[in-house]
Amino acid sequence: MMLARINPRFVCCVALLCGAAWAQSGKSPSVSIAPVPLVTAQRTEQTMVRLDFRVASGFHINSNAPKSEFLIPTALKMDLPTDIVLGKIEYPEGQDLAFPFSPDEKLSVYSGDFAINLAVHPLKSVVPGKYVMHGVLRYQACDNAQCFPPKTLPVSFDVKVVKEPPAHHANPAQSPHVHN
Amino acid sequence: MSNVEQPDGTPDPQPGPGDELNKSSNGGAQSPGPVHGSGRNPLALVVVAVIAAAMVYFGFHMARRSGSDAPSILGKSTPAPDFTLEKLNGGNLKLSDLRGKAVLLNFWATWCGPCKIETPWLVEMQNQYGNQGLQVIGVAMDDSGKDEISKFAKDMGVNYPVLLGKEAVGDEYGGVPALPESFFIGRDGKIVDRIIGLKGKAEIEDAIKKALKTEAATSAAALQPSK
Repeated sequence: MMLARINPRFVCCVALLCGAAWAQSGKSPSVSIAPVPLVTAQRTEQTMVRLDFRVASGFHINSNAPKSEFLIPTALKMDLPTDIVLGKIEYPEGQDLAFPFSPDEKLSVYSGDFAINLAVHPLKSVVPGKYVMHGVLRYQACDNAQCFPPKTLPVSFDVKVVKEPPAHHANPAQSPHVHN
Repeated sequence: MSNVEQPDGTPDPQPGPGDELNKSSNGGAQSPGPVHGSGRNPLALVVVAVIAAAMVYFGFHMARRSGSDAPSILGKSTPAPDFTLEKLNGGNLKLSDLRGKAVLLNFWATWCGPCKIETPWLVEMQNQYGNQGLQVIGVAMDDSGKDEISKFAKDMGVNYPVLLGKEAVGDEYGGVPALPESFFIGRDGKIVDRIIGLKGKAEIEDAIKKALKTEAATSAAALQPSK
C-alpha cells in the first residue's frame, strides 16, 4: 500500500500546516503587541513604558485623534493596581493618508508599527516587588474597501517596583566640622 | 493592592508523589515490555492529523468570529431571512411587509469610512428607482446611540428608513463581519445579489436592476419567518 510508504510524521506536519494556512486565508484585521521587557520602576518616581504595536499588513486603524467625530479613536485603557498611578499616555501622531473610499479627505491613521508610551508612578506606599499591569487597546480597523467592528486587544506588562534610594541625612558623626 | 505576585515570592511547588508516579509511567515507554507503537497504522495517523488540522482551523476561525454563532451562508436565490427592527424615527419595520418591492438591505455604521462614500449613492438610487419599486433600507450596526446615528443620517441626507441593527439579525445574514455589506432582495423575497465592502456605483446599480426585474412571489412563503 502506497500510504504505508509515506512518513506519518510528514503527513501530520503537512495537514497541520494546511489547516493553519486555510484558517489564515480569510482576511481578518489584527493588531498585536510585542512582548514588553520587565520594567523597573522606582518608588515615588515616574517611569516611562513603551508599548510596541503592529497593525497587520493591508489594514489601518484610526489614530488617537481621527479627523471625523464619527470615527473611533485608538485608545489605551489601563487598570493599574492601587498606589501605582498611571501618568500621561503619549500616542504617536497619525499618518495622514487618503484611501480609495476617501480620496478627497485624508484620514489620520496608524498602519504597520506604532508605539504608545505611558508613565507609571509607584507611590511610596507600594511594597517593592513585581506587579502585573493590565489594560486594553481599543481600535477599529479598516482595509481599502471595508471596515471591521471595534475590537479590544489585551495589554499587560510587568513592573518591578524597587525602593527609592535612602535620603541623605546630616550625620554629625561624619561632619568634617566635628573634631575629636 | 491588587498585585498578582507577592513581593517576597512564593517558592515553586516541590514535586509531589503524583509527579513521581507520572515519571514512572513515562518511564514505562522505555521499559523492555511490549511496545504498541511499533506497528503504527498510517491511516490512523492521517485521521489524527486531519482532526488536528480541523481543530486548528476551527480554533482560528472561531477566534476571528469573536464568539458569535457560526453564520449561515446566504447565496443567491436564498429567501431573505425575515426580521423586525426598530426604526430610527420610531416604530418598527418588518422586512416581509415590503414583499412585492425590490429591497436593497444595506448594513452600515457611523464609524465606517467606506459607508460614508456609499450612502450618497444609495440616496441617489432611492430617488432614481423608488418609483419603480425599489426600497433602500439601512441597518445601522452601531453600538453608539440613536443621536449619533441620526446625526450621521441627517448629514448624509438619507431618504430611506434606517433601522437599529441587532447582532442576531446580522448573524442571520452571514454574520456581517465587515461593513458596508448590501443584500439585494427581489420582489419575490429572494436574495439576488450581495456586495461586500465598497464597490463601484455601477455594480450597485446593476444589482438593483436585477432585483427590480424579479416577479413578485404569489406564495406567502417567499420570506423566511422571523425568529
